[in-house]
Amino acid sequence: MNDDPVIRTIGLCKRYAGKMAIDHLDLEIGRGSIHAIVGANGAGKSTLFRILLGFLPASSGEAFILGRDCRSLTPHDRERIGFVNEEHTLPGWMSVDAVTAMQRRQYRHWNQETFDETIGHYNVVRTQKVSQLSRGERAGFNLALTLAQQPELLVFDEPTLGLDVVAKRAFLETLLYSNATRDCTVVYCSHQMEEIERVADNLIIMERGALRNMSPPDDFRARVMHWVADIPFRGPDARLVPGLLEVQRIDGLYHYLVLDQGEGFAGFLHACGARDIHHLPVSLDRAVNGFLAKHHAVPRAA
Amino acid sequence: MPDIIRAEWLRYRLWVLLYALAHLLALAFLNRLTDLGQQPVNVLRVFAAGYVVTGLLLGLHQMGTWRRPNQWLNLLHRPVAPWRIGLGLFIAGCLGLLVAIMLPLLLAVAWQAYGTARVVDLRHVLIPLAAFLIAMCAYFAGAYGLLADRRYAASGLVLILWIMVAKASGPAAILLQLIASGYTFALAMLAFRPDLGSPPRSLPAMVLVAIPVQAGIYVLILLGGFIAEMGWIMSGTHPGNMVTPPKGGFTEAMRMSPRDRMLAGLEDVSLPDAPLWREQVALSEVHVIERPAGAPALRNEMSNSAPMAFEDHDARIQWTFSHRHMRYQGVDMATGLPAGILGAGEDNAAFPALATPLGDMPGLSRGDVILAAGPTLYRYVAAVKRILPLLTLPSGERIVRMTPIGGSVAVLSDRAVYLYDGRYLADGDHAMHPRQRVAIPGHAGDLSAIGLVELVDGYLVSFTFAAQAYDMVGVPPYLTVLRVNDQGMVTPVATRALGEDYPAIYRYRAWWPSPVILALRPWAVGFLAPVDDMDSHDTPPVPAPIRTLAWALMGISLLWGAWLARRRELSTPARLTWTLACGLIGLPAVASLWLILPAAERVPRLEHLPHHA
Repeated sequence: MNDDPVIRTIGLCKRYAGKMAIDHLDLEIGRGSIHAIVGANGAGKSTLFRILLGFLPASSGEAFILGRDCRSLTPHDRERIGFVNEEHTLPGWMSVDAVTAMQRRQYRHWNQETFDETIGHYNVVRTQKVSQLSRGERAGFNLALTLAQQPELLVFDEPTLGLDVVAKRAFLETLLYSNATRDCTVVYCSHQMEEIERVADNLIIMERGALRNMSPPDDFRARVMHWVADIPFRGPDARLVPGLLEVQRIDGLYHYLVLDQGEGFAGFLHACGARDIHHLPVSLDRAVNGFLAKHHAVPRAA
Repeated sequence: MPDIIRAEWLRYRLWVLLYALAHLLALAFLNRLTDLGQQPVNVLRVFAAGYVVTGLLLGLHQMGTWRRPNQWLNLLHRPVAPWRIGLGLFIAGCLGLLVAIMLPLLLAVAWQAYGTARVVDLRHVLIPLAAFLIAMCAYFAGAYGLLADRRYAASGLVLILWIMVAKASGPAAILLQLIASGYTFALAMLAFRPDLGSPPRSLPAMVLVAIPVQAGIYVLILLGGFIAEMGWIMSGTHPGNMVTPPKGGFTEAMRMSPRDRMLAGLEDVSLPDAPLWREQVALSEVHVIERPAGAPALRNEMSNSAPMAFEDHDARIQWTFSHRHMRYQGVDMATGLPAGILGAGEDNAAFPALATPLGDMPGLSRGDVILAAGPTLYRYVAAVKRILPLLTLPSGERIVRMTPIGGSVAVLSDRAVYLYDGRYLADGDHAMHPRQRVAIPGHAGDLSAIGLVELVDGYLVSFTFAAQAYDMVGVPPYLTVLRVNDQGMVTPVATRALGEDYPAIYRYRAWWPSPVILALRPWAVGFLAPVDDMDSHDTPPVPAPIRTLAWALMGISLLWGAWLARRRELSTPARLTWTLACGLIGLPAVASLWLILPAAERVPRLEHLPHHA
């Protein structure tokens, strides 16, 4: 196994009708471990995957996947990349067995043991038609098909969207405890922070098509702090608060969510007339949401 | 690939089988009502329209469901080359059309051949193949419509249009349909790739995509002209629609009675006999020899351009012409059993050309029918059930019409009018010889009307040449009068030019938008089709103002093309080629450049973006 990044983009841009979906993105994802990509709707995650898999031409810049220019992927390259999307699009008119047989013939490194192990977590009858499977069963079947291909890189684009709690947990546990994911790199895109917290070794945050963060989830969480201050008079102008992500006034207390401020932020609050100050750790969900909400478009009147 | 074919076949299997069953039942029902093998082209066109719609819907549905972003990704992101996946899907689609369209038609033909005494020729076996090819062409056009960039995705329909307007018939039509289907297949395969809607990458691919786009734009320009013409008609100033047409024009001449037209031809004649002729025309019956509409019947054509059957009511036999045997085959109308074979002459020889019934004529015995086969006119004698030759024109001429003129018979060929003594037609014992021959004084394709008046010592014959005076193909309209005496000597009497009625910009509306495309149009329409003398025109040169307009448009197109090409991501040779193509082909090429190659997506430089600053 070489040390080349599995995904690398250099100055990648994609423009749709005057709007930048991917904005000069420089991204490098190394081999191994599970990388989570998060971002608000429209952050460019799906566009990035479509460019990386050669389904959408970039406006400018370069993109490589498994070392290959994404504009010239060969069938052999595709065999090395597993992809699961949120719709789990499979031919509904075919039986589970027929789809499995077709995939088995197409993928040279098909691992029947992995397939059987994965599908065993779901109550799927092999003679059932795909259209007769529940959404959770279809997701599990899709996961089994993808893992059995033994890809080097596994890309999940919001795979648990629309699944109920039980199906979501079954999906995640199958993924986490499968031997098949041990030797491959997983890129996992989701809005579900609890999933990210469970699975990700590396957190990539995208916003408006640009890279905003790449670090282990705990490191990112540590950058965000929640300060509570009792300020008897009017609090400082929000524009002057350093690293401010979010401010709220609850029961007369000011709640500040700030980025990269450390203990020195207490001094700022004191200087603004705060009497009582303390800070709280934040969950990853709160940290990411606060981070993404900062630049989120709001109505003019808000 | 077999997996893809099998999977896709499974998807459509039920619908295909249901369609095939419904199709077979419809054919069985219609075959009971009529002989589907002996239908005019318009009936076959209705069937073809149904197959076109079927193919289009299949292509649109199949690719419409696959091309949704996630479906498309799931379909193509596998270790199989995209062209193999595309080929697999298309083979499955074609298999569906084969079962749903071709198989029921073949069964219907087989039933005709083995279950009835009706005529079944090679041309009938070609019909299922033609239906399949037409449906396949539409299927690929539909698939291309959803796979290609929506700006020009509809251009695949041009190939269906080509099949519709092409004049090729029989096996030549099959070859043309095969080429059209192959073309749409190539278009669909080119568009079948992961990055849907991206412009073609290679020069051959670009040419392949651009040709139907440019042809489509040209058709739209013509359609725009047609819509403008509708407005012209509504305004009440269209020469063809005015209550009083322009004075001295061909529209006025064509609306005249045959007598008035003949008198108009004689109006300025100062010959000594002219007053007498005018008097005779005013008092006598002016006979009209009409030119037949439509193309001549051709051997192995799939539809009947002319009726190819007649009935002997007394003997209760329907005689139908067999292209295979070049003879008529009889079917007893009471029992449906075979009732013999009729060839030419006493020895029932094969006809030298397709023998088409022209109907009965005054003076013939009951049940007798006149037939024309190439240069020979025949008479079916019901009493002896024989088809006997009546007259033969010089070799190379083709009889197109026969008209009784008092006691005489006028026979119109593609080159001349012949006048015969009608008495010999009735007794049928003599081989008939013409008394007079008047060569058509112009090109047969321009001929719109023939008038004939019997004089004491011969005939006055007027020819009006205005058949396509409303467009650039036809000769400038004129009316000419000839006199032919009893000895057969033809003397010109008068020629009168008629007004053109329509302005040149209208008549040349198909030319000035793109002279190059118009030059190719006759080739495309007449591809693999025989030349018909009845369709020849004495086309005049293009007037200087129209040539100037075309040059100006080509110049504008050249500059516009160069400007557009500069704004596209093109190599220098490609930019130069596009610019030259725009200059040569004109506005359709400019439009195709704009449609096929969208302007380059301009990305702002990093330092110019506020959030990167």
